[in-house]
Amino acid sequence: MGRLFVVNLEGKIYSCKHCKTHLALCEDIISKSFHCKHGKAYLFNKVANVSIGETEERMMMTGKHTVADIFCVSCGSIVGWRYETAHEKSQKYKEGKSVLERFKISGPDGSNYWVSSQGRHIGGSDADDV
Amino acid sequence: MGVVEDTEPPLKRAKTLADEPNGFSGNSSVRGSSVNSSLGDLMARPLTSQGDEETIGSKGVIRKSEFVRIITKALYSLGYDKAGAMLEEESGFPLHNSIVKVFLQQVKDGKWDESVVSLHRIGLPDETAVKSASFLLLEQKFFELLKIEKIVDALGTLRNEIVPLHINSKRVHELASSLISPSNFISHTSSAPGKESVNARSKVLEELQNLLPASVMIPEKRLEYLVENSLHIQRDSCVFHNTLDSDLSLFSDHQCGKHQIPSQTVQILESHTDEVWFLQFSHNGKYLASSSKDQTAIIWEINADGHISLKHTLVGHQKPVIAILWSHDDRQVITCGAEEVIRRWDVDSGDCVHTYEKGGMGPISCGWSPDGQGIIAGMTDRSICMWDLDGREMECWKGQRTQKVSDIAMTDDGKWLVSVCKDSVISLFDREANLERLIEEEDMITSFSLSNDNKYLLVNLLNQEIRLWNIEGDPKIVSRYKGHKRSRFIIRSCFGGYKQGFIASGSEDSQVYIWHRSTGKLIVELPGHAGAVNCVSWNPTNLHMLASASDDGTIRIWGLDRINPQNQKKQVQASSSNGVLHRCNGN
Repeated sequence: MGRLFVVNLEGKIYSCKHCKTHLALCEDIISKSFHCKHGKAYLFNKVANVSIGETEERMMMTGKHTVADIFCVSCGSIVGWRYETAHEKSQKYKEGKSVLERFKISGPDGSNYWVSSQGRHIGGSDADDV
Repeated sequence: MGVVEDTEPPLKRAKTLADEPNGFSGNSSVRGSSVNSSLGDLMARPLTSQGDEETIGSKGVIRKSEFVRIITKALYSLGYDKAGAMLEEESGFPLHNSIVKVFLQQVKDGKWDESVVSLHRIGLPDETAVKSASFLLLEQKFFELLKIEKIVDALGTLRNEIVPLHINSKRVHELASSLISPSNFISHTSSAPGKESVNARSKVLEELQNLLPASVMIPEKRLEYLVENSLHIQRDSCVFHNTLDSDLSLFSDHQCGKHQIPSQTVQILESHTDEVWFLQFSHNGKYLASSSKDQTAIIWEINADGHISLKHTLVGHQKPVIAILWSHDDRQVITCGAEEVIRRWDVDSGDCVHTYEKGGMGPISCGWSPDGQGIIAGMTDRSICMWDLDGREMECWKGQRTQKVSDIAMTDDGKWLVSVCKDSVISLFDREANLERLIEEEDMITSFSLSNDNKYLLVNLLNQEIRLWNIEGDPKIVSRYKGHKRSRFIIRSCFGGYKQGFIASGSEDSQVYIWHRSTGKLIVELPGHAGAVNCVSWNPTNLHMLASASDDGTIRIWGLDRINPQNQKKQVQASSSNGVLHRCNGN
């Protein structure tokens, strides 16, 4: 692994649970009501220090989207996904934005999120609560 | 200085023509003068229709008369007077219109009054040109009269001929004053009068050339100039051009093949035991320095035959060595341990001469100050420090940079301190004037490198684009280069090749990328490494040697695609999977 290029954020930071690399700022949260396999997920305006995987079409609870998984640049663990395109008009606001799974990140106060042993499996999709 | 002293044939010719005025319709008719209509016959040549309309060449833009005349001029310049005269006769295109010929001869012979008359007969449309030329001729007449001490005549010339022209009164005053004190007036040489006047008259001819239109008096070396222009254009449009100019030939369009770009692995250096993160050739191109995650740096020596061998391994750092930089005299190097210390080493002995540290924080980039008297370093607390060679802190700039991991550099002349100050902004700080120029980029900056002449900055962005900025004066973006891959690491790129006409870069897909600098065109991608290529360096004194450092722990030396029997053992085929690889463990 070469010499990593890692940026440092300032403020209330969410970082990678495994390696503490800064990933996003609290102020960039757009919505906290996203869901994934492991429970809650947050939609962020922008994230840092992630590398992006292959884009693919995925059927989410809210419809079909073109997404790509995002990985922490430092340790390589998957931390969420990014919306490349949304096929329905009402979902367009998500384009270009990224979701970080709460389970994968440490909050600004260092808090973590634990999936209960009876974690609901919602087949890899997201749902928007109003 | 191509004015040829006349030899016999043209002289005779001129005299003959002077007797039988030859109306050459070609160019003069374009000028709209009435000179020719009053003169005699056209020289009858059955084949050539002597209008301006006749063109040669496939595009119909070359006028035949002009083409032949500049060839004639070139022949005379080269000293081939007979050939020149023959061409004039055979083609029917005299080099100069007969009047002009007469005129030029009169100037050479010093027949000033006649020359002024001829000048008017040439029929230039531009009155000022005629006046200026007349002035020139009469001025020379004046001087020559003075030389032979015909003061009264000279005065007469001045009064009656020069003054009525009503131009250049300042010069007229100078001439007048030289009447009074002849020692004031300019002599070209102090040799014999005969020679001197010849020289002076040549000068007059030269100056006349500037005044008279090109079609009347064809400029010196016009053909050579056109050919040089053409070669220039060919060379500039040759995307692979990586050879010295002496290789340019007139016989065929210049087009280098890719074979001038180093694209074959000629040697693999395997002495590092972990990822190699940085490398750089010395200024004199005789050494290569590399630094690695294995906490060492290595100085390699390039032998006369191009083979590279290990000279010293620099051991001492306790952290990965993220950079190694040559002093300007190539006798020392500095290495930067990641967030650890900076060490200065002597190249000859391989010994560590000094260690630079600042309590509590570590350096993450470094550089030499241009006079070799100091070391600069970017520190983890975002400040930039400068020490003198003995380790005393000289200056410290705080608060400029917002990112921990970022490059710094100083231009060779010591004027500018270049650093990344905000995520996507580079600061060019003028230390003396205490002013700053900013380069605002579109995305985060991961690394940068300065060109050798300090006029350009190559910036690597987070979004996998490399941008070239001109930093002379207000920074301006010049080119963009794309194609390589970067998503996690710091990948470095560099200038190189003939006149630094190429940009090379590492890439996370294990290849080396090379672009043509001015067009931005990607010209080669070189596979071979088994891991991300972190850094590349092009030998400044060997156009055909490129080195790359990779996560696979090796350094590859790239050279030309040529199987040289002498170097057969050391050459490696590009498609190396089945071929024999000659690995050098560099001992």
